[in-house]
Amino acid sequence: MQTLYLKEEFLSNFLDTLNKEYQVYVPYKVKGNTIKCDFDFQLPTDDYLFKTYSPNDKEKIIFNTYRTVEPLRTFYSYFKERIASYFISEQNKAIPQKKIAIFGVKNCDLYSLKIQDFVFLEGVTKDPLYEKRRKESLIISGDCPAFKEACFCLALHINPYVTDGFDLNFSPLNDGFLVDVGSSKGEDVIKISNNYFSLATPVQLSARVQKRNAVVEKLNHHLKPHKIPSEDLLQEIVTKGYSSAVWSDEALTCVECGGCNLMCDTCHCFLLSDERFGDINEKIRVWDACLYQNFAKVAGGANPNKYRYQRLRYRYFKKFDFFPDNLGMVACCGCGRCIDVCPGKIDIRRILKRLNDEKSVSTP
Amino acid sequence: MMKNPYQPLEATVEDIIIETPTIKTFCFRPKENFEFNTGQFIELTLPGIGEAPFTPSSDPSVKDRLEVTMMNVGRVTSILHSVSKNTTVGIRGPYGKGYPLDKFEGKEILIVGGGVGLAPLRSLLFSLFAKIDQYKKVALRYGARTPSDIIYKDTISNWAKKKKTDIVITVDVGDSSWKGNVGLVTTILKDLPVDLKNAVSVVCGPPIMMKFVTLKLLDLGFNPKDVYLSMEKNMSCGLGKCGHCRIGKFYTCKDGPVFTYEQLKDIHDIWD
Repeated sequence: MQTLYLKEEFLSNFLDTLNKEYQVYVPYKVKGNTIKCDFDFQLPTDDYLFKTYSPNDKEKIIFNTYRTVEPLRTFYSYFKERIASYFISEQNKAIPQKKIAIFGVKNCDLYSLKIQDFVFLEGVTKDPLYEKRRKESLIISGDCPAFKEACFCLALHINPYVTDGFDLNFSPLNDGFLVDVGSSKGEDVIKISNNYFSLATPVQLSARVQKRNAVVEKLNHHLKPHKIPSEDLLQEIVTKGYSSAVWSDEALTCVECGGCNLMCDTCHCFLLSDERFGDINEKIRVWDACLYQNFAKVAGGANPNKYRYQRLRYRYFKKFDFFPDNLGMVACCGCGRCIDVCPGKIDIRRILKRLNDEKSVSTP
Repeated sequence: MMKNPYQPLEATVEDIIIETPTIKTFCFRPKENFEFNTGQFIELTLPGIGEAPFTPSSDPSVKDRLEVTMMNVGRVTSILHSVSKNTTVGIRGPYGKGYPLDKFEGKEILIVGGGVGLAPLRSLLFSLFAKIDQYKKVALRYGARTPSDIIYKDTISNWAKKKKTDIVITVDVGDSSWKGNVGLVTTILKDLPVDLKNAVSVVCGPPIMMKFVTLKLLDLGFNPKDVYLSMEKNMSCGLGKCGHCRIGKFYTCKDGPVFTYEQLKDIHDIWD
């Protein structure tokens, strides 16, 4: 893999060039919530939101030091969208769309993308919309030189920096970025803006290693008090905890907003509905949430997840039992978006720890 | 670009048969031939209104016509029950794994149905009768709530005349004209005329009925591998993507809807 160097002052030039061929999404900084508890780390509280790049807004362009508020999947399956029009003589023509480039993707997002790819590109059939968007998008990821209080990727053996799964990756270094080229698509982009880049030096590369290690060390230190059980134990912990009182205890503050599902990077569930616009019938896909009461309800009225604690448990079983069985990966990337979004302060780190504590107690 | 898997195939309602006060059989004629294996399910679209999963009740060897027997029980079925002939509907599918007929060859097949759960089993019975020489025996045990809730009455009496066939029916509650068995379907699972060593069982009905029938069959000595269950879940996409129909590590839509009890026995709360 080729690694280049881009001076920070050229970042906007690079984005300008990119913007000619792609619809570019970049992170914008917004004021975040006040901090909950960060063990005196003085962790940043600001958030980043994806917006379309505008050459007039150059001064606001920043490199996000950790993941955005929105999960990456918002670019590949939309919250609500038409997926088929039917029983009309004239097939609706697809509106040609500019390819998209997403700048500011993090390693947690890339891990989750493997889950999304498994769901939408494998199995019985591929999802044509997802496949098209996935093929046509350019992923520009970045290392995380900082992290939020809710970040816990390392507990799941996911690094706060990126080593694969991207087209280009940016590692901030001094007054610029080391840029890894991870695909031929990424290479093509570099070609058209070649004059801004130089080859990375061995000194720069070793400086990056040190920088990455320092973040890992700091994040490990931050995670220590949470006592999150090891990733390879999660399936056992969750399945053994099926009858645990932890579920009903933690579900007490759940207000069924579905935020944990909808903000989740690995969640993928959706519901199909039918709508009519004039003479046109349309099949609509809308994101669904297993924390909603009627998620699993059948027409006859039976509902295997009648109670909130069952739905909370269902979510964990999907992530830590279903996906390990079917894909060999847990469907959690440690992004902590569900922690940030939850008005009931339900914390996945705490639930996993509590289940683990119970398991240790019950097995002598 | 690949075919859109969410695009329904147009079909028209050709006939509507009133089976009971709450159950109707709809005969659809699809615009193109539609093939399915017995036990697989389809997503039936009411244009602009909604979609719901059903297992066809018709003979899979018929390609230009498809029948679905449904109870008026949910949002989509209540509207469907009010439509008339020539209404346009949409069909997606077929989805999932149906009944493994190859595994039934040379065996005695015990079929246990409850209520409208006889619908997918009718499709199975059509398939079995079409090649009855390949099977040793077909025994049907069917339970309905009351005599007026029994579906396919005429068809059942025709089946009863067929060779290698043994049919017993019961109702939970009888009436003055009913001369047959009264009691839950589990009460007619005694003294079964099947050789357990060479038999498989197929169960379809409401969850509570499936639960107690399964327990009864295991009690009688059936191997969990030989108990086939049609699971009812909230299948939406049918493609293993939307996540609604998960049972443990399975999706009902792609790994089922027909499961053996062996596959499900270690999963919590499968009957809920």
